Amino acid sequence: MSTWKEELADQIPAEMGNLIDTFEAQIELRKQGKLDEKVFAEQRLRKGAYGQRYDNGQRHDGVRTRELSYPSGELVKGPDTLWDAPGMQRIKIPYGGLTAEQLEVLSELADEYADGILHITTRQDIQLHYVHIDDTPDLMRRLAAVDITTQEACGNSVRNITACTLAGVCHDEVFDVSPYADAMMRFLLDHDDVQDFGRKFKVAFSGCAGHACGLVKMHDLGLLAQTREIDGEIKRGFTVFVGGGLGTVPQQAKVLAEFATEEQLLPIAQAVSRVFARLGEKKNRNRARIKFLVSKLGIDEFRREVEEELKTVPHDERHTAYLDRLGDFTYKPAKAGMALNGTPLPDGFSDWYRTNVYHQAQSGYSTITLNTPLGDFTAMQGFQLAEIARRYVGDNIRLSVEQNIVLRWVADADLPAIYREVREIGLGDAGAGTIVDITACPGTDTCKLGIASSRGLTAELRTRLIERINLLPDAVRELKIKVSGCFNSCGQHHVADIGFFGNSRRSGNHKMPHFQVVLGGQWQENAGSYGLAVGAVPAKHIPEVLEALTNRYVAERTEDENFQTWVKNLGRKEIKAMLQPYMKLPSFEEKPEYFSDWGDSRVYTIDDIGVGECAGEVVSLFSLEIARAESAHFEALLALDDGNYPMVDQQAYKAMVLAARALVRTKYLDVGDDYGNIVNEFRSRFYDTELVYDRFAKGKFARYLFKRHDQPPAQVGEDYAHQLIDETQLFIENIHSAEQRINGVIVS
Amino acid sequence: MTIVPNRLGVKFNLKREPALAAADIVPIFQRWIQEHTVDGMLIDVIDYKHVPEGPGVILIADEGDYAFDFSDGQIGLHYIRKRNLPGDMAGALILAFRLALGAALCLESEAPGDIDFDFSHAKISFLDRQNYRNEPARFAAAQDELSAILADIYGGDVALERAYDDPRFSFALRVSAQTEGVDGQKLLARLSARAVSVQ
Repeated sequence: MSTWKEELADQIPAEMGNLIDTFEAQIELRKQGKLDEKVFAEQRLRKGAYGQRYDNGQRHDGVRTRELSYPSGELVKGPDTLWDAPGMQRIKIPYGGLTAEQLEVLSELADEYADGILHITTRQDIQLHYVHIDDTPDLMRRLAAVDITTQEACGNSVRNITACTLAGVCHDEVFDVSPYADAMMRFLLDHDDVQDFGRKFKVAFSGCAGHACGLVKMHDLGLLAQTREIDGEIKRGFTVFVGGGLGTVPQQAKVLAEFATEEQLLPIAQAVSRVFARLGEKKNRNRARIKFLVSKLGIDEFRREVEEELKTVPHDERHTAYLDRLGDFTYKPAKAGMALNGTPLPDGFSDWYRTNVYHQAQSGYSTITLNTPLGDFTAMQGFQLAEIARRYVGDNIRLSVEQNIVLRWVADADLPAIYREVREIGLGDAGAGTIVDITACPGTDTCKLGIASSRGLTAELRTRLIERINLLPDAVRELKIKVSGCFNSCGQHHVADIGFFGNSRRSGNHKMPHFQVVLGGQWQENAGSYGLAVGAVPAKHIPEVLEALTNRYVAERTEDENFQTWVKNLGRKEIKAMLQPYMKLPSFEEKPEYFSDWGDSRVYTIDDIGVGECAGEVVSLFSLEIARAESAHFEALLALDDGNYPMVDQQAYKAMVLAARALVRTKYLDVGDDYGNIVNEFRSRFYDTELVYDRFAKGKFARYLFKRHDQPPAQVGEDYAHQLIDETQLFIENIHSAEQRINGVIVS
Repeated sequence: MTIVPNRLGVKFNLKREPALAAADIVPIFQRWIQEHTVDGMLIDVIDYKHVPEGPGVILIADEGDYAFDFSDGQIGLHYIRKRNLPGDMAGALILAFRLALGAALCLESEAPGDIDFDFSHAKISFLDRQNYRNEPARFAAAQDELSAILADIYGGDVALERAYDDPRFSFALRVSAQTEGVDGQKLLARLSARAVSVQ
């Protein structure tokens, strides 16, 4: 019986395979208690393997808090995170771009490792829920075989890079940002300069300023396409924004550079990363996003830091090499473009056509949006959709930040046929981008931080709105609703016309689920402004609040007055007065149903809220890097058990070099990956200076590395392998001790 | 053929669409957690009824999930065993059948007369594409052994057919007992007598 590792060996890029093997080794080390739980947690998060609600082994069942006795007992995969507790696997889909084959593999994984559902996130990722940590290495291998990674999907690193789903087909874009998003994703992935952040880092690309597009103003780093004439030549480039973000302290991004050329794009991203790693907050995770650093320094000083940093960024051919390949980034439609011409139209087509079809810049082609309720679709739908995509659009599939699936390059003549087919598989609902197309984060369904049921509320609102959609005035139909389960804004409630985020209030001796109402956020102009919080309302009153708000908006708005302006003109005081009747809290005895959340029959409690992993663990760079060395040492041990002595030599040598690198990087971040360079730097900085010397053994352990590096064995026998393993272990221990002596207490 | 898949599902369909709505299943499953009505370390209830032909409402457990399921356009009780499967195929199938059947009977008792399962038919899913590609050859290799085990489970001959022709879908079989009107309680008693380990 072969394993996925064996079966896919030839299809997985070596670097990706190594990262997954390392993670698998870390899983074993953690099980044996040889890897610190916080270090493992951060490693796990950087592989996109996230915790889920109730993974601390406790759940309130509506009557009492029950212990969940998982079979692995006390074994944890992070602080208060039990090993066997189901987790979430986040999968990065850069700019949401998918091929049909990738969609099929994702569907297989949902079928075999999760609950059969694929969930689209507000960052164009796919999330699988209820995944066991032991299944994740094979899951990652199957993804890697089709060029998908989970690397740095969570944790304090560069998250999925997003872009508008219309990039490349839009009428208004300056140019297609997709290849630039792709290049930056590949450049920053697992880059040395993004390993020491105090918090996550989100990047987005936009092709135009006017539409919502890539929402660059709410991102840590936002790139807005521009062209400029330089020396008589039209040059492509970007306005660079930095320090935007939502969350509890939403901030609009500031302009770091009005125009950076495409040659400057990756160096600037690297320099910003280095400044963030060097000066960003590490201890207080609540102040660790780059927006706080930008605020603290001021944009001018931050810009000066970036400019200084740019001078120290080492030369890297990758900074511009991707420009030569831009021409390769083309789209292959499955069919020739052809106008829609007299074909009989199926029932429901007109409504769908009005809301779900966008005519591309390319004549004869359209982009269609498949309205995916709550961002969920089944594995079976995934397979069926991949087949439809192959026949109609080829590999031109994208996921949107509004949690929908988008098919691009549909020949207009095929629109009725493709509508029939997507409707057949349950993905043909009209109303994409309208008030029924509500965005929601996972909330209390699966998120440890969820306070109220964002998905329960969304499902309820969606059901009610769909029933009335044809009765709603256009002004209401066009509104956007976004719902978050807590203040952290994963549902992006700040940039909706009408946003809600979960909180709770007390009535008597009971807690009642509430939603804070946030009004007047702007989706257009790249998330141009954020909404106003106007008051918290019991969750069960939210449908009435929505109706009251929209009715009054329709009744009072002046011609062409949009929702943002109406809210602004009405004022917070008046809006609060309007909400007041709905804010009254009934007692438990009067209305017990108010004390249960939407879609949940249990009596509401906040006892299930756990510690979020969103921020990752703040673990020192050294701890992360030395963990890689220990994983390689573990691989060497496995090879020894298998009698594969050449592999022992290879892994043990790698382990020593990685350990040396971990120490070198505490003083010299840019040491790079070259073994010779790492050994030289280690020798000059730590051996020649005697910093690495043991009190009794002096430089003996360091010389194990030099010996192996300078005199590779001609042949590797069992005795040599055993000795090398032991020496490697001693060398790693020596590095640990040295690091503590040199740099003080290890943060872990 | 003796390889036991990583995950094994058994689904019994309802004879007709019930008056009970999917939303009504959420409080039932929540109560099952409180009262520990079905086997397993029960964790949570997740609601996917908004997804067409999806898993509906799932009662998540450590060892296996129970779903009031809408897949294939048929409403039923779908049990998917995820962990701790017995090492032999007969043991694995008996376990999955017994737990699916037990949960289905519990659901029937929640709405007598309305929730009414057809126990003469079942769908078995082998959620393990490494060992069970959905191909005719795999079916041919497995058919005799599975037929024998299932005949033992039902106490009489069964007919087997592949549920899906598409090789991308999971390897799944439709089982039809040759005896119509299989009594769920009797079948459960039969399986309980054969059960080796419960969880």
